[in-house]
Amino acid sequence: MEWYQDYPHVGYDLDGKRIYKPIRTKDELDKFLEKMENPDYWRTVQDKLTGVDVRLTDEQVELVQRLQKGQFGDVHLNPYEPAVDFFSSQVMIHPVTNRPADKRSFIPSLLEKEKVSKLVHAIKMGWIKPRKPKEDTPTYYDLWAQEDPNSILGRHKMHVPAPKLRLPGHEESYNPPPEYLLSEEEKLAWEQQEAVERKLNFLPQQYRCLRAVPAYARFIHERFERCLDLYLCPRQRKMRVNVDPEDLIPKLPKPRDLQPFPTTQALVYRGHTGLVRCLSISPSGQWLVSGSDDGTVRFWEVSSARCMKTLPVEGVVKSVAWNPNPTVCLVAVAVEQSVLLVNPCLGDKLLYGATDQLIEAYELPEEERLQPVTWAVAAGAEHSRGVRLIIRHGKPVKQVTWHPRGDYLASVLADDSHTQVLIHQASKRWSQSPFRRSQGQVQCVLFHPLRPFFFVASQRYVRLYNLLKQELAKKLLTNCKWVSSMAVHPAGRWGPRQPGWARPLPSLGWGVGAPRPVSCRHHKKALRSVAFHKHYPLFASGSDDGSVIVCHGAVYNDLLQNPLIVPVKVLKGHAPARDLGVLDVLFHPTQPWLFSSGADATIRLFA
Amino acid sequence: MAQLQARFFTENHKYVVDDVPFSIPAASEIADLSNIINKLLQAKHEDHKYVEFDFLVKGQFLRMSLVKHMEAENISTEEVVEIEYVEKYTAPQPEECMFHDDWISSIEATEEWILTGSYDQTSRIWSLEGKSIMTIAGHTEVVKDVTWVKKDSLSCLLLSASLDQTILLWEWNVERNKVKALHCCRGHAGSVDSIAVDCTRTKFCSGSWDKMLKIWSAVPTDEEDEIEEAANRPRKKQKIEQLGLTRTPIATLSGHTEAISSVLWSDAEEICSASWDHTIKIWDVETGGLKSTLTGNKVFNSISYSPLCRRLASGSTDRHIRLWDPRTKDGSLVLLSLTSHTGWVTSVKWSPTHEQQLISGSLDNVVKIWDTRSCKAPLYDLAAHEDKVLCVEWTEAGLLLSGGADNKLYSYRYSATTSDVGA
Repeated sequence: MEWYQDYPHVGYDLDGKRIYKPIRTKDELDKFLEKMENPDYWRTVQDKLTGVDVRLTDEQVELVQRLQKGQFGDVHLNPYEPAVDFFSSQVMIHPVTNRPADKRSFIPSLLEKEKVSKLVHAIKMGWIKPRKPKEDTPTYYDLWAQEDPNSILGRHKMHVPAPKLRLPGHEESYNPPPEYLLSEEEKLAWEQQEAVERKLNFLPQQYRCLRAVPAYARFIHERFERCLDLYLCPRQRKMRVNVDPEDLIPKLPKPRDLQPFPTTQALVYRGHTGLVRCLSISPSGQWLVSGSDDGTVRFWEVSSARCMKTLPVEGVVKSVAWNPNPTVCLVAVAVEQSVLLVNPCLGDKLLYGATDQLIEAYELPEEERLQPVTWAVAAGAEHSRGVRLIIRHGKPVKQVTWHPRGDYLASVLADDSHTQVLIHQASKRWSQSPFRRSQGQVQCVLFHPLRPFFFVASQRYVRLYNLLKQELAKKLLTNCKWVSSMAVHPAGRWGPRQPGWARPLPSLGWGVGAPRPVSCRHHKKALRSVAFHKHYPLFASGSDDGSVIVCHGAVYNDLLQNPLIVPVKVLKGHAPARDLGVLDVLFHPTQPWLFSSGADATIRLFA
Repeated sequence: MAQLQARFFTENHKYVVDDVPFSIPAASEIADLSNIINKLLQAKHEDHKYVEFDFLVKGQFLRMSLVKHMEAENISTEEVVEIEYVEKYTAPQPEECMFHDDWISSIEATEEWILTGSYDQTSRIWSLEGKSIMTIAGHTEVVKDVTWVKKDSLSCLLLSASLDQTILLWEWNVERNKVKALHCCRGHAGSVDSIAVDCTRTKFCSGSWDKMLKIWSAVPTDEEDEIEEAANRPRKKQKIEQLGLTRTPIATLSGHTEAISSVLWSDAEEICSASWDHTIKIWDVETGGLKSTLTGNKVFNSISYSPLCRRLASGSTDRHIRLWDPRTKDGSLVLLSLTSHTGWVTSVKWSPTHEQQLISGSLDNVVKIWDTRSCKAPLYDLAAHEDKVLCVEWTEAGLLLSGGADNKLYSYRYSATTSDVGA
């Protein structure tokens, strides 16, 4: 159409004649008049092809309007019809196409494989570097992290607020309630008090109205004091150590994790008629020997609580000790003023026969030696009952104990003189008194299980003698009133434990190397005896209240480390009689079993 | 929860009911369930007589109300419960009480006689009616274990082991009622606590306190084995003690580190031994080697083996009876523990006829009959003893025997129900 812009015609007809543009004679005024007068002016457009003014019909106007809104021209076309996803991932029962799947869809593409292998090769050769992980350094940082605490900003951070003034109360009021007003006596008392002692540093006063309140006389004074307070207030932050007191207690393992240890009463050995004072067990753990106040020594089978033998002796049995040497079958019994060496004739026949032979093989030395005791050979009825040798001391014997090798035995007499501890050699029938001077009343003695040491417990002290060097090696203060019994750890690492007797007091333990006592106080009444287990880290203590406490005591080779002692079980069973409860405790040599003998004439086995 | 859906079934064809679920009260106990089954059976057969039943839910005996049992066993109450029922085992009937002079350490019984070992150093033979037939004295110490070797109508061979470190092989002439010591087995250096004869009846093994397990021939001969003389042993003494011909062991198996408390033959060539060192060891007799070790954590008192279910039962120095599988390679796995005793279990014995029942005696003076399907509660408690029970026995004829520290041997007639004997 533009081509014909400057021409009067707009094209040619079939005959080649020009088609002229319609004559447009309308000037601006006509256009204006038409715009004003013709109501259809707004829908009249000029057809550029023909140059004719066309009045648009309603439908056409509507179409134009729809197009202007960006809508489809067709009224009936719905652009939002629900889409049917024909080619979805869902496999339909009736597929759109019935074409079988391409072979390539399930065969790995060779091309891709080649590509991947090239990439892998490149990565292997180091030509391609795998993607570097992004450095996630934050783009912001703590501005004050490196702040010097002494700089101004740092000081601000360490700001300690000044102490605040107390808020005024009813006393400061110009018209306080009558109970805040002081009476005459109180006023007098206030005046007589020192300024620092006064509860209030002013006298509450009542005024009729606020207008009547005079100027405060102490104002300058109080401001000055406030300034002093602020000036002198400590401006340092006190770092308080925040420690939970629970954390300071060492963590003890649960008793259940420390098994095995004796938990329940398994067997009761009945037969004695008096209180059972002492116990001892054969090294194999098959036989148990007990001495009682009824004047008998009984031998029991451990597994069945059967009394195998009863040996009547004249008098109270104070102490029994089975020879710890497994090749010798001999029991030392302390009765009244003598020590009996008894062959119980239990166990291996060869063994006790050999023991008898050993005793019979003794030959009298040529020269008579002076001895503090007399040795006698039992004969007749006593021999048939098992008694082999009698060592007659002049005084009552309190305790006997064997050296771990089984040849020497020590006895303690109830005496104050220096001969109250005697050491006997059974094979040579030779006795000697090791001490020249009395060290107080000796309660009990003990041989060290491995080293040539000898423990002597007097009432308050335990002395440790070196038998080789014949000298005092160590003196241990027990801190208790009366030592009643002591036991030594089988490894010897960990020294004797003594219970206090006169008062309910601690049993103590020492490491031999570094004398650091560990005391346990759990019993309510006096302790009577203590025992260590040979293999298990267990020890037990029997008390007058009729209970036995079993403790787990792990001892470390490192002497600097504190031994771990956990009380694991309280065993009750013995009925207290005559203010006495458990008199002796003893562990089985191989099993975690505990024997206890009591004032109720029974022996109990806890397993 | 008032009602439960339950379906009943049984393996006994005599008492089959219809396989349909029933709605039963949740709180019903054995007696109620038993009534239900009897009603159903009566409806089916006119001539049905009342029978007491026992009930199993998932292989466990019902001992409380059904809903409580299912809560305890964690069984869903929503679904239909499958309840198996079996005829109730009748209570053992007490028969005889035989008085001894001392504690009874061991019992072994046959169809006709009972052999007991006692702490008064003798063994005794009793008839089943409780009549003392024979007292065998010869040991110088407590008799710890006795066993029959051979039982003929004319003469019997029997063994007794004692604390005096010997085992005596006796021949008992039944007709003349005479007993003669044939052999004195020497070699142990400790109390012989347990002996067991193998299935061919030509060998026996013994376990002793000296930690050794020895195997001996049980065939009587006229020859005496040479024994090395102990140098320091007085000769005349030995001559006096000697009773019968001396016999020495064929083999000695050592490996235990503590006393052996119980031995048994689990097979023709396999010995199990239980010890105080907390282990059960299984030995191969042919090679004399150790096959496997089962490790417990308590001292073993007694073991028993059942060829029917191939399980070992052990009684140890605690309250539990444990069942072991001796064929596991790794050992140390307890299949089941039966707990109801309150003292050490001194003796256990499997039933020779029933694969799930065993008997146990304990230091709490009670003998209990167990079914392995009910491990919390025993079938029956036999509380006749007044002191520790030391030994129990279960014969093939269904006789239960127990002896203890009260010097009494009790016998019970226990017949599992007729229908169960075949099972």
